[in-house]
Amino acid sequence: MTVLIGRKIKKVYGKKSTAQEVLKGIDVEVNKGEFVGIMGPSGSGKTTLLNVLCSIDFATEGVIEINGQNLRGMKEKALANFRREQLGFIFQDYNLLDTLTVKENILLPLAISKLSKAIAESRVKELTHLLGITEILNKYPNEISGGQKQRTSAARALITNPSLVFADEPTGALDSKSATALLKNLQSINETKEATIMMVTHDAVAASFCTRVLFLKDGLIYSELYKGDKTRQVFFQEIMHTQSVLGGDGYES
Amino acid sequence: MSLSKLVLRSMKKNMKHYYLYFFALIFSVTLYFSFVTLQYNAEVWEAVQISGTATAGFKAATYILYFIVLFFVLYANHLFMKRRSKEVGLYQLIGMTKGLIVRLLAIENILLFVGAVIVGMLAGFFSSRVFAMILLRVLEKEALVTMAFSTQALQQSILVFAVLLIIVLIQMAWMIHRVSLLSLFSAAKQADERVRRFSPLQMVIGFLGLILIGYGYYASTKLFDIEATSNLLVSMLIILATTIGGTFLVFRFSIAFIMNIIRLKKKGHLSVQDVLALTPIMHRMKSNAKSLTLITVLTGVSLGITTLSYIAYYSSEASAYSQVPGDFVLLENNSQAFVEALEQHNIAYGAVDYRLQGVSATVGQLMSEEQKDNPLYTMEGVIYTIPLSDYQQKVPTASLSGNDAILTNYGGYMAEMFPLEKDRDIDVSAGEFKETLHIVDIQEHSLISGIITAGGGGPIFVVTDKMFEHLATQSELYPWHEQTTITLQAESDRAAAEQLYQQTGADILTIVDNEGDTHEYKQSSYEMQRKGNIESLGLTIFITAFLGLAFLMTTGSILYFKQMSEAEEERDSYTILRKIGFAEKDIMKGIYMKQAFNFGVPLVIGLLHSYFAVKSGWFLFGTELTTPLWLAMCCYIALYAIFAVLSVGYYKRVVRESL
Repeated sequence: MTVLIGRKIKKVYGKKSTAQEVLKGIDVEVNKGEFVGIMGPSGSGKTTLLNVLCSIDFATEGVIEINGQNLRGMKEKALANFRREQLGFIFQDYNLLDTLTVKENILLPLAISKLSKAIAESRVKELTHLLGITEILNKYPNEISGGQKQRTSAARALITNPSLVFADEPTGALDSKSATALLKNLQSINETKEATIMMVTHDAVAASFCTRVLFLKDGLIYSELYKGDKTRQVFFQEIMHTQSVLGGDGYES
Repeated sequence: MSLSKLVLRSMKKNMKHYYLYFFALIFSVTLYFSFVTLQYNAEVWEAVQISGTATAGFKAATYILYFIVLFFVLYANHLFMKRRSKEVGLYQLIGMTKGLIVRLLAIENILLFVGAVIVGMLAGFFSSRVFAMILLRVLEKEALVTMAFSTQALQQSILVFAVLLIIVLIQMAWMIHRVSLLSLFSAAKQADERVRRFSPLQMVIGFLGLILIGYGYYASTKLFDIEATSNLLVSMLIILATTIGGTFLVFRFSIAFIMNIIRLKKKGHLSVQDVLALTPIMHRMKSNAKSLTLITVLTGVSLGITTLSYIAYYSSEASAYSQVPGDFVLLENNSQAFVEALEQHNIAYGAVDYRLQGVSATVGQLMSEEQKDNPLYTMEGVIYTIPLSDYQQKVPTASLSGNDAILTNYGGYMAEMFPLEKDRDIDVSAGEFKETLHIVDIQEHSLISGIITAGGGGPIFVVTDKMFEHLATQSELYPWHEQTTITLQAESDRAAAEQLYQQTGADILTIVDNEGDTHEYKQSSYEMQRKGNIESLGLTIFITAFLGLAFLMTTGSILYFKQMSEAEEERDSYTILRKIGFAEKDIMKGIYMKQAFNFGVPLVIGLLHSYFAVKSGWFLFGTELTTPLWLAMCCYIALYAIFAVLSVGYYKRVVRESL
């Protein structure tokens, strides 16, 4: 089943004279249960693509459908509702509210939904158990580590059982140990809960946890790699190879 | 790049930050300059000469105004500096010395100040005319106000703002010198320290705050009770200390504590309102407690003062009426000439005659036991009686029998401070007669001239006609025997009647008392009395109202500025919320709550403070409490609402721009 369909997505910034085309017509499809990575050198349009796909930003041209719903033409309010109910977000800088405890942060997307407290409570229990953050539920963000913050952020993204989770450089601000732990968490959630995840990263290790990796260059999809039955090590080598062909950043040897 | 170029560039870039500070400066200059100009205006000066205390009043008000302005500008500068801390940090990072930065900012500040003083003075020059017109209106004077530029006012304002500039520069230099490079970058972040847990100790202290305020309010209601009067000053200080201290504790602990309880009850399932109003307010309470306390107290004080002087102004009619209960009150036999003159000029009027007879009595007999330390308790004085049949002209339903009597005409602060009780007996004597009257009712209708009752609102007895005639056999012992109250039927005749009143000399009374001494009295007409009241109070009222307005505008602006910077600090949160799917409308729901709290709570507590302050001693200022209090309060509520709306508008923009 296809969760996300993007056709000929173009994004132009600036006015006519200074116009800069960041996305030059991208076609992308994501099936249910996939864990898709988006890679590419700086300035290739990774984050722009993600923002456009998740309706935080508007595409200049092209069609985006999530779960069969066309994002274009939806009103601001409808889009917000759509984001809240259908999508989950994990950001590089966590984006937790300082004034809320971990539990309150996780439950934030449910603040205006009519979901019963009991169900919400059981979801919190399940997710925090999966992510290993049951101990810190009553702490404030400034009392916990970066890895814990990012796992909190992941729990918040998953609390609504979204059709699609967008992660923008989720490991960018983490040390390698916390990063690996988080990625393992995401991978297991992807497998056990059949959550569809789309992740932007410039880290080949992070990308190697995905089931499929898209490579972007200059606003176009340059190539695509499937993990298939390969081990993570082999997949990692493939990613590194593609990156070196691609040039730009990402050399980590 | 030279320093001056850098200054100009940074000013151009920072226009958005500056406008708040610039506005605060202009506003202060306008307020100050218009007030000073007003003082040097010839027409105004002429009009207020009658109030003997004009010079002193203006001078005191100028000092207070300067204090308000100083406080306001320093606060705005502080906020402004905090906002620019990053910029200052950047300058330091690229190797500028603190001295150079101080010089840079000093040049900016001087430029801003000069600009604001020029703009403010222009605005002040024009607004001073408006204020002058309002003042003359209050005084009921009809004079044309000319605009005269006063060099004295100019000099005074320039001097005063030069001093203010120096103080601001010192504050700025101090702020820059005090902080390290590192903390400059995290100045905005320091507020994040606010996220703390709440301990049981806070609960106790928070509760104590509520008790302190409660005690202060309770004590204020007892302030003018007889037992407490022995050390009025001490009790006033205690009340001030408990209410102000209590207010601080409430802001610092109680509010966060109560909110925390609500929050804990939700067990993590917060609504949007909780996320956007409850939690930020709760965590900010520590840093906001001081300023909110100050704002609340200032609101309370200024509203209290404004209300009291408004009560005095508003009551000028009522107090004139208690002194002169009727358009014209004619005593003894000097009425003839005036009444004839009225008829000659075809002026329609109604007349009511009262026969009067004095008796000696001790009103203490009508007081409760608790007031026995009261000097009036044992003091014997002369109280006049009127017969029931005369009283029935005003109150047709009144009836009395035997030794029954009605005590009436008893109002104003006398009635408030020395309450009398009905269904009690009072011994009266006139010459050799001794009687005991039984008081069946106590009324406050003004009937008899203040000259007779020894000041407006003094008591008189209404007795049966039989009793009156009985007492009247002693009439030569007391100077007053009759009063005629004239009421005009058409308002349009008033001016003419007033003239006749003076022409016929009805306002001058010469009385020979039983010991043969001659006394001269001036019985003003009601209108003369009222105008006299207004003239003697008008300036005070104007000045207090002006200061009240200044206080109100500054506290309102400060709350607004605070909200502006809070909105900027919370911009990131709004971005997060909008990203994860909260619509603008959902977020605004929380913002409305937050604004209702931020403006509402200081306002409500301030209103309560002023209510109890006014309530404790209003009767010393006038005869009417409810209407002036309500009007003044509504005025404050309306102006705060305007600031709240402005603030909501600002938040709306921030929320909209946040994604």
